[in-house]
Amino acid sequence: MTSMVANGTRGDQSLVLKGVDPETCMIVFKNHWAQVVKILEKHDPLRSIVGGLGGGHGLGGGGGLGSFRFGPVPGDEASAVQNYVEHMLFLLMEEECGQNGAMGPILEFVVMENVLERLFIWSLRREFTDDMKLEQLKMYEMLIGQARQPLLHHKPVLKPLMMLLSSCSGSPSGSSSSAVETELVLLLNQLCCVLAKDPSVLELFFHTSEDQGAANFLIFSLLIPFIHREGSVGQQARDALLLIMALSAENHVVAKHIAENTYFCPVLATGLSGLYSSLPTKLDVPSEEWHCLHREDWQQLPALVQFLNSLEFCNAVIQLTLEEVMTTTAYLDLFIRSISEPALLHTFLSFILLHRHDNVHILDTLVSRINTPFQLGTVSLALFRTLIGLFCEDVMLQLVFKYLIPCNHMMLSQRRVLRERDCYSVSAAKFLALTPSCCSPEVIPPPLRKLDSILWSKGTDGSHIGTMESKEVLSEEDDCGNSCVIGSEIYLDVSYLHYLYDAQNSISHCMRACRVWSAPYDGENPPPEEYQRNTLEEAGRTRPPVTSRKTPNQMHHSGPPLKDLTATPGLLELEWDDSYDACPTQLHPEEDQETRPIPDEPPKHIQELRRTAIMIVKGSYIEESEFQNDVMVYNLVAQKDAHDSGNSYHTSSKSLEAAKQEMLDESVTDQKTTNSESSISNGLSSPLDEMDSKKRGSQSNHKSLEGEDLVAQYEELIRTLGAQHSPAKTDSELKSPTDLMDEEEDEIDFNSFSPETPEAEKLPSPFGTKPRSGSRGHAVPFTGPFLSVLLSRLENMPSNSLHVNLLLTGILAQLAAYPQPLLRSFLLNTNMVFQPSVRSLYQVLASVKNQIEQCSANNKDFPELLTAAQHCLLARESSLRDSQSPQKGDWFHSSEADRIKTKPNIQPKTVVPLNKTEVYAAVLFTEFLKELAAFAQEHSILSHLPTEQ
Amino acid sequence: VKPCWILCAFLFSLSRSDGEEQVGQGEQKSSPARPSFGKKQLPSIPKNAVPITKAASPAPSTQSANGTHASYGPFYLEYSLLAEFTLVIKQKLPGIYVQPSYRSALMWFGVIFIRHGLYQDGVFKFTVYIPDNYPDGDCPRVVFDTPVFHPLVDPVSGAGVRRAFTKWRRNHNHIWQVLMYARTVFYKINTMDPLNPEAAVLYDKDIQLFKSKVVDSVKLCNSHLFDQPKIDDPYAISFSPWNPAVHEEAKEKMFAHKRRPEDYNKGLPVSGLSWVKPGSTQPFSKEDNPLQT
Repeated sequence: MTSMVANGTRGDQSLVLKGVDPETCMIVFKNHWAQVVKILEKHDPLRSIVGGLGGGHGLGGGGGLGSFRFGPVPGDEASAVQNYVEHMLFLLMEEECGQNGAMGPILEFVVMENVLERLFIWSLRREFTDDMKLEQLKMYEMLIGQARQPLLHHKPVLKPLMMLLSSCSGSPSGSSSSAVETELVLLLNQLCCVLAKDPSVLELFFHTSEDQGAANFLIFSLLIPFIHREGSVGQQARDALLLIMALSAENHVVAKHIAENTYFCPVLATGLSGLYSSLPTKLDVPSEEWHCLHREDWQQLPALVQFLNSLEFCNAVIQLTLEEVMTTTAYLDLFIRSISEPALLHTFLSFILLHRHDNVHILDTLVSRINTPFQLGTVSLALFRTLIGLFCEDVMLQLVFKYLIPCNHMMLSQRRVLRERDCYSVSAAKFLALTPSCCSPEVIPPPLRKLDSILWSKGTDGSHIGTMESKEVLSEEDDCGNSCVIGSEIYLDVSYLHYLYDAQNSISHCMRACRVWSAPYDGENPPPEEYQRNTLEEAGRTRPPVTSRKTPNQMHHSGPPLKDLTATPGLLELEWDDSYDACPTQLHPEEDQETRPIPDEPPKHIQELRRTAIMIVKGSYIEESEFQNDVMVYNLVAQKDAHDSGNSYHTSSKSLEAAKQEMLDESVTDQKTTNSESSISNGLSSPLDEMDSKKRGSQSNHKSLEGEDLVAQYEELIRTLGAQHSPAKTDSELKSPTDLMDEEEDEIDFNSFSPETPEAEKLPSPFGTKPRSGSRGHAVPFTGPFLSVLLSRLENMPSNSLHVNLLLTGILAQLAAYPQPLLRSFLLNTNMVFQPSVRSLYQVLASVKNQIEQCSANNKDFPELLTAAQHCLLARESSLRDSQSPQKGDWFHSSEADRIKTKPNIQPKTVVPLNKTEVYAAVLFTEFLKELAAFAQEHSILSHLPTEQ
Repeated sequence: VKPCWILCAFLFSLSRSDGEEQVGQGEQKSSPARPSFGKKQLPSIPKNAVPITKAASPAPSTQSANGTHASYGPFYLEYSLLAEFTLVIKQKLPGIYVQPSYRSALMWFGVIFIRHGLYQDGVFKFTVYIPDNYPDGDCPRVVFDTPVFHPLVDPVSGAGVRRAFTKWRRNHNHIWQVLMYARTVFYKINTMDPLNPEAAVLYDKDIQLFKSKVVDSVKLCNSHLFDQPKIDDPYAISFSPWNPAVHEEAKEKMFAHKRRPEDYNKGLPVSGLSWVKPGSTQPFSKEDNPLQT
């Protein structure tokens, strides 16, 4: 039997059909169908009436199909049906749409007669072999791919298709032949393309599935097993899934389904890890010069190609679903926790840290979400706890240190005391002194306050001051052995010992982990001034020349800095956004941005967040003043975004900006521009950028720039620059541009502006905004959005849910373990003097203490509630402890459970409802103070031990 | 006699390094063995030590008015002293070794090796007594086990070198300074305000007699070197003659110890991550190909 369907060729036929009038086609079609029906009915056990609607067939589902069989179908009849069907399909495919998009007559007939469903049942009635599946799959593939009118809108087309897909999913994927799999994925891919073009079909797919008994997005589920498949099958599956993910950005049902009902996330993450581990451990090194994997290298390695494909795919998934924020955040958290391979983490982290979506760094978006209320904020917090627990320098740099390195958050005089140790536990004492009076150890009865006696002994001399006297005493005591030791027994809160022990573990673990870091972050290395200078250059370099923004793909380009791009050309091919090229259709909204002028307003999601924030403020649960910080953070992020939107700048700041921009543009667009000319513009642009960023930072006055200020700032800047380079060159204003170039050429890759450089390298550096926000901090002292948001949430401790507070204090305790003086001094040194605009952890804690004291004063029952809440928390802790024995490597999480420690098996007598947040917060706060004090104390020892020993 | 001292010094530094670990990093090494929910205790305070009921609660100045954290006072004191001790380690004072006693962080055992000058070859054991209201009390006292003949060492009690710190100022004065001073007085003799007037007068008037008395005193001190420690404490410094069976292995360990820091780093699984190029403040600036890691 020569089947044209199977061969997929139809060229001649379509030529023949041209010019044939629709009526004739219709007649032929009906004719064929009548022949087919004859055969079908002959073998139909139910003998349904010719022309009856297909709904009457009452298909019972895959399992019971065997019972329909009514003896074997003779081969000649089968092939006759086959032939008729092929002709019918051609006629259907070639039919044009009717008037105003109505169905063509043949399609109408197909729908009315339920042709396709009956044909599917026919194929089931015969042996439903792989060949049969193939035949059906190919039939739909051809129909969907080549029909000239939309078919999937019609249930009588869609339903048998779904049944076919179901029957393919019913069989364990291993048993189907690879030919069926190939065809299945091809069809699925095609369906996804249709869905992407016409999302309205999506609804139908869901509804049709519901008819099948389960709300099951079949296409998606069927594709998942192929995610990590090698070869073109895998590629098609991934492309198809990407299309769906793109849809999920807009369709809530799809997103929810993916997150809740499929194994997509685990499959993605674990599959990736699996692929990674199957990478060849040894590479054939072609020559001695070989130093990195180029495209031609890795293309030789199927395992690697496969891994990279999956990686690209994961990335694309994350990008596309960014709108579904909570789901995505949960994805991310899961991914990062699942990944154990550093190289894979590298990929994920660099994506989070450097990549932008809608011109906002993903990291910024994630940080801003910490402050969103309810679930999203909590999920974001959990993600950050995971991130911080990685002890990854790059993460900590972007989240925290970048803002602390310039040391602008502290008074100038404090820089030298940054590394000082707290010899006498002064900070610990100050933290503990914040213990609310209602929570003081004396007030709390046992067993909550577990007292134990510890022998504190001391040397003899304390009681003997006079030299002569002590001489005699000493010699006496020496004679009688150990009596020179006197001691005292002091009752104390044993839990504090636990905290000290935890802090010691936590800090030493962190110190060990940070040994691989590039710098100590101690206020000298990296040098604060140096960092600011880099920032300027960064800003100068990252002004995106308008002319170079050509494709959305490039706009989104991110990756290692320019130097790295040149050093690893192989990687260029693997940049995240290339994955878009693999998508048959591109759905990302950035395309629009190219054409429409970018508004001065912050991106939509930031506006959204701000709106939520304000709504909540206006609502009830937080006072406006207390939310100020958060709103400020939103504003900062939003402002930055507006600025970073590239080619649109505030008209107010246009004067300098525009001039500079023109110079840069010229250097790019004018092919004749020499390097030295472009370097002039760069050399000059640095101070201008600096002023610009200052101006930007000071928010209030960024609409006007006083001439005096400008000159003063310019001079100051030149002075600092000059001072850094060489003390001799005091009058650096007179330096020639070439000097400037010489000094800075190490930092700036001028090639990036030359016409020879590949387009990709001229793109705005993904780091552009970050350092600039750092230099904004130069004007307005700012410890960065992350620390600010954490502290502002902490300040609301009394109204936060228990879980949020556990996460918050957990994150802060984890941060407090970091030994780097910049962070340690900010969090734990209560003696540091910060700039007035910078809130310290201590200040925030003091504010919380006051709130708790007020709660306590206003509520007579507070002490009892407090005791009851402690019992509840103890019960919670002991149940946690029972259910999950501390696992290896899970020390951090166990520390959360450790927060409240005493005897196990305490049953709460009265359960304090969780909405009494202030009561739980008071208990947690008191424990948190102990935890912080313990960290401060342990740091005074551990962080100062000589590293060698 | 001289080789013997070198040997002793050698042995001592060995025991010192052990002691150091006990107080410093030793904690983190031993800690994993402890059950995470078990009882925890501060370093060098044995919980099961003989209870003595005399109550003498130290009153650090950091105690707050409302008294909520009065019970934390001992913690502050303990950690202040630990901090002082780590400072001493950091100073690497030549020829001086100390370690806190087992029973109290307020009592430290020490020994000083004099390598040249009038007191050359002298090995003087001493004890440092720290007042329990540290750091707001007086200067810690250094008392030599055997009163060495020196203008600034009391010939009877062995107490000395207190004079340099008439007023002890927190944050400014540290115990390592006391130890450094104790070392200096043996190299640069000062006769002002002597605790041993005889020695002071002799030094000024009859340097030869002074010298011979010093030589005798050094011999006397060294002859008592192998004596049992005056204070019975597990961490008291004790010297013993060379015994290959006991010391050879330790000696080899000590030489191997030289190379240890690197090996130590290499052997440990590194749990942190960094792709920041040294000198850069940009994330992922390292030029490593991530696929090659």
